[in-house]
Amino acid sequence: MPSRDDSPARRLTRCALLTAIALTIFMAEAQLPPPVPIPGVKLGLANIVTVYAMYLLGPGDTLMILFARVFLGAVFSGQMSTLLYSLGGGAACYLSMLVLRRIFTKRQLWLCSPMAAVCHNLGQLAVAAGVMRTWAVLAYLPYLVLAAVCAGTFTGLCAQFLIAQLEKSGKK
Amino acid sequence: MTRPVKWGLALLLLLAAASAAFLLLRPGTPGTVAVVTLDGEVVREIDLSALKEPVTFTVEGPEGLHNVITAEPGRIRVDSANCPDQICVHQGWISDDLVPIVCLPNRMIIELRGEGAQVDAITG
Amino acid sequence: MGFRRVAAALLSAALLLPALSGCRGQAEPAQRTVLAMDTAMELTVYSASARQNQAALDAAAEKLAALDAALAVTDGDSEIAALNRAGGAPTPLSGDTSALLERALDLCGTTGGALDLTAYPAVRAWGFTTGEYRVPEQAELDALAERIDYAAVAETPEGWTLPAGMELDLGAVAKGWAADELEELLGGAGIGQALINLGQSTILALGERPGGGPWRIGVQDPAGEGYLAVVGLSGHMSTSGGYQRFFERDGQTYWHIIDPDTAAPARSGLGSVTVLGESGLVCDGLSTALFVMGLERGARFLRDHPELGVEAVFITEDGAISITPGLEGSFALAQGYEDREVTVLP
Repeated sequence: MPSRDDSPARRLTRCALLTAIALTIFMAEAQLPPPVPIPGVKLGLANIVTVYAMYLLGPGDTLMILFARVFLGAVFSGQMSTLLYSLGGGAACYLSMLVLRRIFTKRQLWLCSPMAAVCHNLGQLAVAAGVMRTWAVLAYLPYLVLAAVCAGTFTGLCAQFLIAQLEKSGKK
Repeated sequence: MTRPVKWGLALLLLLAAASAAFLLLRPGTPGTVAVVTLDGEVVREIDLSALKEPVTFTVEGPEGLHNVITAEPGRIRVDSANCPDQICVHQGWISDDLVPIVCLPNRMIIELRGEGAQVDAITG
Repeated sequence: MGFRRVAAALLSAALLLPALSGCRGQAEPAQRTVLAMDTAMELTVYSASARQNQAALDAAAEKLAALDAALAVTDGDSEIAALNRAGGAPTPLSGDTSALLERALDLCGTTGGALDLTAYPAVRAWGFTTGEYRVPEQAELDALAERIDYAAVAETPEGWTLPAGMELDLGAVAKGWAADELEELLGGAGIGQALINLGQSTILALGERPGGGPWRIGVQDPAGEGYLAVVGLSGHMSTSGGYQRFFERDGQTYWHIIDPDTAAPARSGLGSVTVLGESGLVCDGLSTALFVMGLERGARFLRDHPELGVEAVFITEDGAISITPGLEGSFALAQGYEDREVTVLP
């Protein structure tokens, strides 16, 4: 939970730290071979941080962390070409989380997260369809929905567990 | 369970079930014409049913990325590519119209279409 | 409680759907090759059960053998051979053969004699029945042409009569008739999806092709090896082409489609005619008649006879393609022929 003396420096440090964590997770995951040969399907472990931030820090900070991670992730992994898709997915996910965080509590992240993940993949697919100027990519839609449900549930559970542990240990 | 959880869960399950059902129930049609699209433009069309022997060619994208593609009678794949994720290569051969090969980084798509030259019978 | 019911329904749906996919999947095909009417016939039927397929194929093969036995002009035991041998005496024909003959003669009348069942002696004179080809003298052809007249075939209370010296052959409509018979038979056997290829010149397509949409039939290039166009077919189709059976003598090509007026191979400028329609008999007979008429007369004939309900593809000897307006949406040039011009007939 954010502490009372939320000084700008403290806030900046916290965001930077979380961005670094998310980026590290992202880069580590990028080293793994893709689980299935379908574009856009991956665990997305870095989103544990996104979910955490959304629930404990609020939309503003989350947006900065998310954007910084997506942008730097593309730079560091050398996948600038996929930046557009990630941005599309990130934006869709972020927007959905704005709504979802008002509906679901911290104890319901296991459900909130797969929904956001589905939105993420839909956004990504929409951008892909726009960039490629073809509806052919929609053939991936069912795969991406299924993958999002699985991966989203997993990251949601991770985030939920993490938050529960942090709260128990009395830290933020 | 609270109301939102119930309905959220129901929605999610429905989505998942619909996706799974779609994937399982959809019949694939063997594709005969491979259409290679780069950045929205069709760069090559190959009639796979008319091929006698394998054809290999390279598709060069605008950002220096390329995919080396091999077409054989009835099927097509990306042999190698210099894209970072290599997903297009991992997908291997495709021979029906269910899932196209997509290389997101290079904005390249290989689609198979059932239409084209394939016929069920010949009259004459 | 609403939610539990919804959840239960969803879960069972999720579990059931994959299981259902087995049943709701594609109908299973079964195929058989039948040798009849001097050709290899390729029968492919689709249904949910292998037993149903086999039963339908058995019945179809039996039907084809029976038709062949009744109609073959070369088979001395056939009803048609008996009529040809009768020397003008009335010959009783079975109900089926009688019905066919009636309808075929009707069609001869509709085409104004461009289709004529009694051209058989001319076909034989050219050697197309035996393969011992020859070019008859003009005098012989004139004599033959005089004896070609479908109108001389008559039905009397004692049977059918054919003037002595004339011979009748149902070859021009037999396959089309067989396709009609098979259509009825398969319908009765519960087969809604089938591709019946009675030796290429006559095809019956029932239902949709596997994967959906009309069956895609390639139209043979009369001057080449492959097919020059693809037509969507749901129904009957027949093609007559000079390339189907022919011989060459002194640089001249002579084919098996005889013009009843001259008793000589029909040279109308056409290389082939393909007819699509609801009736196999009409398609089969008309493909021959239109070939004899030629493009201009044939097109006019089709315009004058909308009641026949047929569409046609005319391909001239120099490769020009004309189609009737009803084919515009379902006709496409094949690969390698994209630059051919297609004329849509008025």
